[in-house]
Amino acid sequence: MFVEGLLAVTLASAVVVAVAPDRYAAKLATGLSLLPLGGVALMWTRFDASGNALTGGDIAFETRETWFQLGQYSVDWHVGLDGVSFPLLGLTVVLVTAALVSAWTPITERESEFYTLVLLLETALIGVFTALDLVLWFVFWEFVLVPMYVLIAGWGGPRRNYAAVKFLVYTNLGSLLLFTGLFALVLGLGDSLSALSMPDIAQTLRADGQLDGLDVDVVGQSITVGPDGLRLGAFLLLFFGFAVKVPVVPLHTWLPDAHVEAPTPVSVILAGVLLKMGTYALLRFNFTMLPGVARDLAVPLVSLGVVSVVYGATLALAQQDLKRIVAYSSISSMGYVVVGLVAFTPHGMGGATLQMISHGLISGLLFMAVGVIYNTTHTRMLGDMSGLADRMPWTAWILVAGAFGYMGLPLMSGFAAELLVFVGAFDAAAIPAAPLVTAVAMFGIVVVAGYLLWGVQRSLFGPYRLDTDHDIGRAPAHDIAPMLVLLGLVVALGVNPDLVYDVVQEAVSPLVDGGATVWPTDITDHVQGGRR
Amino acid sequence: MSALLDPAVGIVACPLVACLVTLTTGRWLPLRGAIPGLVATAGSLGLAVWVALRLALGTAPTHETVYTFVGGVDGQGVVFSFGLLVDPLSALMLVVVSLIAVLVHLFSVGYMNEEGESDLDRYYAGLGLFTFSMLAFVVADNLLMAFVFFELLGLCSYLLVGFWFRDPGPPSAAKKAFLVTRLGDYFLLVGVVAVFATFGSGAFAGPDSFVTAAEGVVDSDTGYTFLDLSGQQVVDGIGLLVLGGAIGKSAQFPLHTWLPDAMEGPTPVSALVHAATMVAAGVYLLARMYGFYALSPTVLAVIALVGGFTALFAATRALVEQELKQVLAYSTISQYGYVMLALGGGGYVAAVFHLTTHAVFKSLLFLGAGAVIVATRHEEDMWEMGGLRERLPVTYYGFLAGSLALAGVFPFAGFWSKDELLFETLDHAAGGVSVLWVAYAMGLLAVAVTVLYTVRMLLLTFHGDPRTDRAADPDSVGWTMQAPMVVLGVLAAVAGVLNLGTLRGVLGEETLLLAEFLSGETLEGFGGLTTENGGFALSAGQYAETLHDAAGYEAAGLSPVLSGMVALALAFAGVAGAVLLYRGDDPDTHVARLGRLGSVLANNDHQDEFQVWLASSVARRAALAANRFDRGIVDGVVNGLGAVALSLGGRFRRIQTGLVSNYTAMLVLGLTLLLLVFGLTEGWWV
Repeated sequence: MFVEGLLAVTLASAVVVAVAPDRYAAKLATGLSLLPLGGVALMWTRFDASGNALTGGDIAFETRETWFQLGQYSVDWHVGLDGVSFPLLGLTVVLVTAALVSAWTPITERESEFYTLVLLLETALIGVFTALDLVLWFVFWEFVLVPMYVLIAGWGGPRRNYAAVKFLVYTNLGSLLLFTGLFALVLGLGDSLSALSMPDIAQTLRADGQLDGLDVDVVGQSITVGPDGLRLGAFLLLFFGFAVKVPVVPLHTWLPDAHVEAPTPVSVILAGVLLKMGTYALLRFNFTMLPGVARDLAVPLVSLGVVSVVYGATLALAQQDLKRIVAYSSISSMGYVVVGLVAFTPHGMGGATLQMISHGLISGLLFMAVGVIYNTTHTRMLGDMSGLADRMPWTAWILVAGAFGYMGLPLMSGFAAELLVFVGAFDAAAIPAAPLVTAVAMFGIVVVAGYLLWGVQRSLFGPYRLDTDHDIGRAPAHDIAPMLVLLGLVVALGVNPDLVYDVVQEAVSPLVDGGATVWPTDITDHVQGGRR
Repeated sequence: MSALLDPAVGIVACPLVACLVTLTTGRWLPLRGAIPGLVATAGSLGLAVWVALRLALGTAPTHETVYTFVGGVDGQGVVFSFGLLVDPLSALMLVVVSLIAVLVHLFSVGYMNEEGESDLDRYYAGLGLFTFSMLAFVVADNLLMAFVFFELLGLCSYLLVGFWFRDPGPPSAAKKAFLVTRLGDYFLLVGVVAVFATFGSGAFAGPDSFVTAAEGVVDSDTGYTFLDLSGQQVVDGIGLLVLGGAIGKSAQFPLHTWLPDAMEGPTPVSALVHAATMVAAGVYLLARMYGFYALSPTVLAVIALVGGFTALFAATRALVEQELKQVLAYSTISQYGYVMLALGGGGYVAAVFHLTTHAVFKSLLFLGAGAVIVATRHEEDMWEMGGLRERLPVTYYGFLAGSLALAGVFPFAGFWSKDELLFETLDHAAGGVSVLWVAYAMGLLAVAVTVLYTVRMLLLTFHGDPRTDRAADPDSVGWTMQAPMVVLGVLAAVAGVLNLGTLRGVLGEETLLLAEFLSGETLEGFGGLTTENGGFALSAGQYAETLHDAAGYEAAGLSPVLSGMVALALAFAGVAGAVLLYRGDDPDTHVARLGRLGSVLANNDHQDEFQVWLASSVARRAALAANRFDRGIVDGVVNGLGAVALSLGGRFRRIQTGLVSNYTAMLVLGLTLLLLVFGLTEGWWV
């Protein structure tokens, strides 16, 4: 009942904050958000999952009750956690609390409305990462969009309406694709499926010969799609549906607009958690349910990943707005997740999952730091400022630390995640010419250092100068505190990745069976110890 | 547990503790953190000396894993761990690093505290973090741990070079230093990943090491399926990738451009980071995995050529620099070129020897330069100095000892180490590795140029008449700055006794203390680090054997004295040239004396311009073009589609009320409708 408790408490918190007067809303919401945070911490001590939830592993905190009957299928209230979803749940509750604190300074109007929406968003996010029933999952998935849309449209910058509509339309079109893909699969499974539970679907799909063809009625013409065609079609629909969220180039253009217009706390959640919905779903659906297609399509998939890494980084190099720099670098970082997933090796998939967590923490940290600078200077343009480290040392050095984290400085979480992705991808049997592909993707670590150090140098160092009418002051302690907490987590995870990676490995290892061949085989004969 | 593990952990931990103490309480401490730093580095030095002595007296080396970084699930994927490898090489380096660190901390009290700099807790915390990273890098027992601390060294360099962040110059230099070395580190990281993916282990030593695995691969004719690479090609490729990292960190051509800029940092930092330790990390890494490089004649040749060329090229550049620290920066690049030359030339002991003596005399020269800069109230241009000899006697004699060592004048330390490495290269060249002739010739020519720029630097700074008021009336230099120079000055004069190689024919092989130490001959046990025939796997002798068997390096058995005479003759030619050009009370500027040659030399390095052009022009334009493409085409298509849809849906505009609650209602309603439609058309509700 832990998961239900989390959902109920968070939803109830939202209701309480909704009726609270504006001036108490901020502190009240933050205090109430400690409840799910504490709940997840408690769950951590009792976490006992093993294996992957979708492939028949032991699921932690599982509840499964028949909810209602949808035709031949039973729709269940089915929730639970494994080593992939639990770290993401942890990331969600940590980042939401941090984001709530970071909202104290910038959010000054309609506060109770704002904090209510953030808590509603948190409820939906908890639902996305815990739901194990298809319908339930999809309901949470769609519900995330509602508060997010309203938060951008209601508290955003000057072009907030454009950004919010773009975000909504883009991601909703993605949802349409994935919804079609999902139900094509469900219908294709026919009688072999009796419940819309994700583990059932995954296991039926992974077993051979369960998928029938499907007759599709297109404008009066009946077309029969065979099982292979159905798998491929469903895979593509799902992939593009999720790729919007990740985002994978070229479906990324909503992201910089949404980030630039969104207020800081919303950006933190958007980059930190919402993007992970996309990669989480890719892992859960495409790479768990249809691994055969994923292997067949390895070349285009990994190409998209590498292009995202390099192209995203190149775009970041061209930006003048600090927040845009951070936004574009997310595209680059999420590209590594795609590369790692395609590898189908233990470290590739595990590293990809770790990268989701790591990127969530570090991008949240950077968005907060940029937000604090904006709160005090009222500008984010590089040309408008210089030498800020002199006036706001804490924020400046935290931003520098975050930038180094983003660059993959060892002993910070990004290094561990990226190293694992690289090692996992380098000898992946699934990727042709894997060493070369990996080496190209790795060049991102040079470009990211380029634009972040350049941005940091121009804004924080050199003689102090600020071209706005605002007087600069030190940031209040409650702006600094959440950044320090995130920085602490980034370092803790960087020094000891096994804090999270242990459970992640546990959950991804069933997926890589048969995926990772030892490669190159001959060399292994000469290695006496240690390998696989 | 081995007897050396605890002291080794202590050596590494001391400066980290000092860093944390300074970071948290430094602003309330007297001298703002210098004291914890001094105590900690002195502790490290004491322990390091003890460890080195124990090894010299026979205690077996230590190789132990202390921390599992990424364990993962049993049997799946590679395991990453941190461990300590305490052997003669790392013990020697521990002593060198902690010695220079102590002296630099002491010097900083005079250079930074007494000059009234602010933010000194940040400075000392940075020094502590740097010393910790360097010591941890030195004792790393595997490639991953080495990479981790290699990168942290880069961070520390960034923070320390950019210490005066309120000025425009230092942050820019710090960024450049990090970026250029990052490019090298990219190749290194690809190499590290390749090592782990190929061999399943990154350990430097032991039966499970990648070096052992590589030996097996080279011997057999198996390799990658990727591009049909043979085992030898895989080893060559990985060797080159790792070499990329070493070239970046040790400032070798063409990635040397960051080091002269890095002189923007405080001078004690230059002495510690950019002369004696961090810059040494690149070549140290090559020495650390020398058993791997000895398998690959191709890569050895590349190393020797890069080293020889860098030694010569950077030396010519040092000849025309105006600022004292710039001369020293190019000199550092040149001297690490010599170390590379030695490694490529098959002279492992000579390389380590020169690494050691260079650390001593170059940090001495930087400290001397720092003292001069303080005394002349922050003047760095040598043409604004002159005649400081009588007014700053201690600094002068310290600087003189360093200069003589750098120039390779008998009997100063640099003479022995440089001769040794030139001899080894020559001996192997004569033994049949013909590419070494080219590298050797460049190295030999560089001897004369080195002497020339060293004597020029000495004459211009300390001799003749003062050319400015500041040089005529310098401030005095305090004891905290003089004491480190005295210690290093004595060492620069006598450190050669470690390995009197040039006279080995006269004195006998038993005087080669360093060679004996590095060959493991002092050890009474090898702590499991044995070869198949029971020898010490990390010994110079073992490397020589591998060089001979795998890379075909034969020694011709030339006389070291003969080689020494050639080098000495060139050195005298250099002295004569320098005195001719720069003696006297009021020497002409270099351009006047060197004529056309001077301007050629001053303009010979277009690497820097080239790299700045790559970064600022090519990369930036590519980025801007990509951005236009992204905003115009990729996003343009999206917006275009949106516009079409909007115009088609114009009639629905009425329901766009702008009210949040309406939108919410519409969304929920839409979702329900969607589900309903699906349900009805597919006939679900029975």
